[in-house]
Amino acid sequence: MNKRFLVVILAIALLMIVWVGLGFEGNELPYVTIRELTTNYEKKPGKRFRLGGNVKEGSIFRNDNDPLALSFVLMQEGNRLPVSYHKIVPDMFKDGSEVIVEGIYDGEYFFADNLMTKCASRYEGDLRDTKTSL
Amino acid sequence: MPVYGASLLSLSLSFAVLTIFLIVLFLRRDDDRFFFVAQRTSLGVCFLVTLATMTLLASLLKSDFDVDYVAKYTSLGTPTLYKFTAMWAGQSGSLLFWLFVLCSYSAVVLLQNRNKHQKLMPYVIMTLTVIQAFFLLLVNFVANPFSPVDANFPIQDGLGLNPLLQNPTMAIHPPMLYLGYVGFSVPFAFAVAALCSRQLDVVWVQTIRRWTLFTWLALGIGVLLGGWWAYNELGWGGYWAWDPVENASFMPWLTGTAFIHSIIIQEKKNMLKVWNMILILVTFLLCIFGTFLTRSGIVSSVHSFTESSLGPIFLTFVFLILAVCIYLILTRLDDLKTEKRLESFVSRESGFLFNNVVFVSICFAVLWGTMFPVISEAVTGTQITVGAPFFNQITIPIGLILLFLAGIGPLLAWRKTSKESLIRNFSIPVLTGLGMVTVVMVFGIRAIYPLVTVFLTAFVATSITLEFWRGITVRTRKFGESPFMALVKMISKNRSRYGGYIVHIGIVFMFIGFIGKAFDKDKEWSMSVGEEVQIAGYDIVLSDLNEEERPNHFAWIATLDVIKEGKDVVSLHPEKRIYFHRNPNPDRRQPHSELSLHSTWREDVYSVFGGIDPDKELLTIKIMVNRLVRFVWLGGYLLLLGTVIALWPARRSRRKEN
Repeated sequence: MNKRFLVVILAIALLMIVWVGLGFEGNELPYVTIRELTTNYEKKPGKRFRLGGNVKEGSIFRNDNDPLALSFVLMQEGNRLPVSYHKIVPDMFKDGSEVIVEGIYDGEYFFADNLMTKCASRYEGDLRDTKTSL
Repeated sequence: MPVYGASLLSLSLSFAVLTIFLIVLFLRRDDDRFFFVAQRTSLGVCFLVTLATMTLLASLLKSDFDVDYVAKYTSLGTPTLYKFTAMWAGQSGSLLFWLFVLCSYSAVVLLQNRNKHQKLMPYVIMTLTVIQAFFLLLVNFVANPFSPVDANFPIQDGLGLNPLLQNPTMAIHPPMLYLGYVGFSVPFAFAVAALCSRQLDVVWVQTIRRWTLFTWLALGIGVLLGGWWAYNELGWGGYWAWDPVENASFMPWLTGTAFIHSIIIQEKKNMLKVWNMILILVTFLLCIFGTFLTRSGIVSSVHSFTESSLGPIFLTFVFLILAVCIYLILTRLDDLKTEKRLESFVSRESGFLFNNVVFVSICFAVLWGTMFPVISEAVTGTQITVGAPFFNQITIPIGLILLFLAGIGPLLAWRKTSKESLIRNFSIPVLTGLGMVTVVMVFGIRAIYPLVTVFLTAFVATSITLEFWRGITVRTRKFGESPFMALVKMISKNRSRYGGYIVHIGIVFMFIGFIGKAFDKDKEWSMSVGEEVQIAGYDIVLSDLNEEERPNHFAWIATLDVIKEGKDVVSLHPEKRIYFHRNPNPDRRQPHSELSLHSTWREDVYSVFGGIDPDKELLTIKIMVNRLVRFVWLGGYLLLLGTVIALWPARRSRRKEN
């Protein structure tokens, strides 16, 4: 193949790599543990994080007048984090369910703008459950 | 039943090993008899795997809960259709199904090429059998779908299928994806065969052209159906989320698309031989890698398959193939060289070349973003994820370049395009594009990406329409045919070309749908019956709330009256359902939101019943107004139509001409 073409293609490839690299700016979302979030907290307004954990049993609290307003405690390896959320929750969300939240942290509360549930475990569930249900 | 199925699988594995052994003997001794037997044992593998698949299917349909898989994914109450689709609902079943698809393909390849390609076929069979053996090892020793149930009491009823998967689309979407994923094994096998046997002329490329198109279509339809299902069932209002599992299916489609374009150059010009080898290798590896991604649990995904021990095994397989293929390509580099050169930047060849560079770039960007959490964790210790905003920001401009290339490609001449013909061919499309931009600017749209997209869609649509129009006028003048007859004859004379153009128009429509995304609106409310809310020019009244007890679930049904400018448009009925509602254990009850939508070409009104406080009859409702979504589906239909036209065998008409 011609050298000219090779040069142009390499230039395009390089451009693409730079472009992809630039795309990370401002779009990164660190996936941290509750421990990392709370111990290394520095005030950075608007900095978003992603966290995983389980909903503490009995911690889901809904506002009486506005069912959309919701708070619960996220548990992970014995650490706890109060989470506030103001959107419709997924069907699988309930006490004990495994969730991933994304949002900002103010040093005390985590304000989630996105909440996802992991659901596989239920359908890979324990067959002994069916015995009790019969 | 479990023992029968499991022994079929063991027997298949031994047949596969025997086939590989026989082919090695044939290549060593050059005795045709070994090859004939190998062909038969290879067909034997296909037959046995088919039997095993049927056995699992029979167990599922008969609700034979002695089989662990059947007990875990179906119950007595599961409708028959979904007992059938449970075949690919779980890991071991889907691996067996994968194997079944691969074996069906292999059988077709074997029978089709019984007396053809004598030099290539031994290696083709060998490659396919190695892939089969890999999956046979998995279903025999790692995830056996016939494992007996692990319980010391008789199972009376199974766990049942996830209600999200109880949707007719789920009956087609996974098999389609599998047809695509697995199908790339065949072109890959021919590529390896061409390398091994040093038969690197154009024959292998011609043999696999149809296969590749079919596979590519199946993968594309599979991806689209996934989006359609997400949109119509999951209730988050979109069709694409850049989830790792979606990306895993998108990446081989991208490199596959590059491949079906670049083999045209190899067929016509005998160029880009090394490049094509690399492309098909990468595409196949991405298919296997995609399975690895979805099965290993190394990246978190909403498509929650169980984390399993399969990850390392798949990765080892990927590296093994990679090593063998790199060795093959490097040792055959001299045979792959070509004397032909590209002559001009403004030619059909270089158009294809740039198209390839762009496709591979998008694939690279998607791969990088998907793997970034893993890479960043390895380097810095913290997992850094990038979401949809990253992917959109990166891929939208590259996608637009691609759209531009789809418009100019067909207008460029082979070898070199003169300046005069450029001006002649491009002035009308460019002017139409600019005209459309002016029109939408008058309507108040100022954002840059939508404007560029409008220009490019108009440009591409016009250039393709002109291409059709020129062909038709030539025929009407030359043969005196009616324009319609001219169109039909023109397409049937040159199916791959015009089929390709129709696919391009489909892609244009999809891009129109993608622009709509920029103008979507959504909002959530808590409402009680009688309340009214506003969104995007619509008034929405919650006029009624009903309850209904159905065979396998309980449902609350909301009635939402959608009103625009004082006129009733439609009544939407989103539902909140509770599956397994009679189960005394509340943890086993399963809430599910059934969305309801009203679709027009302009926009979809999309409603989701988020939740209910039954004591106060207070509902949470989400309404979305999604613009131009229908164009995405229309694009999908055109993609199907165009590819079918390109695929349609042209033998009969050729015979007539001769």
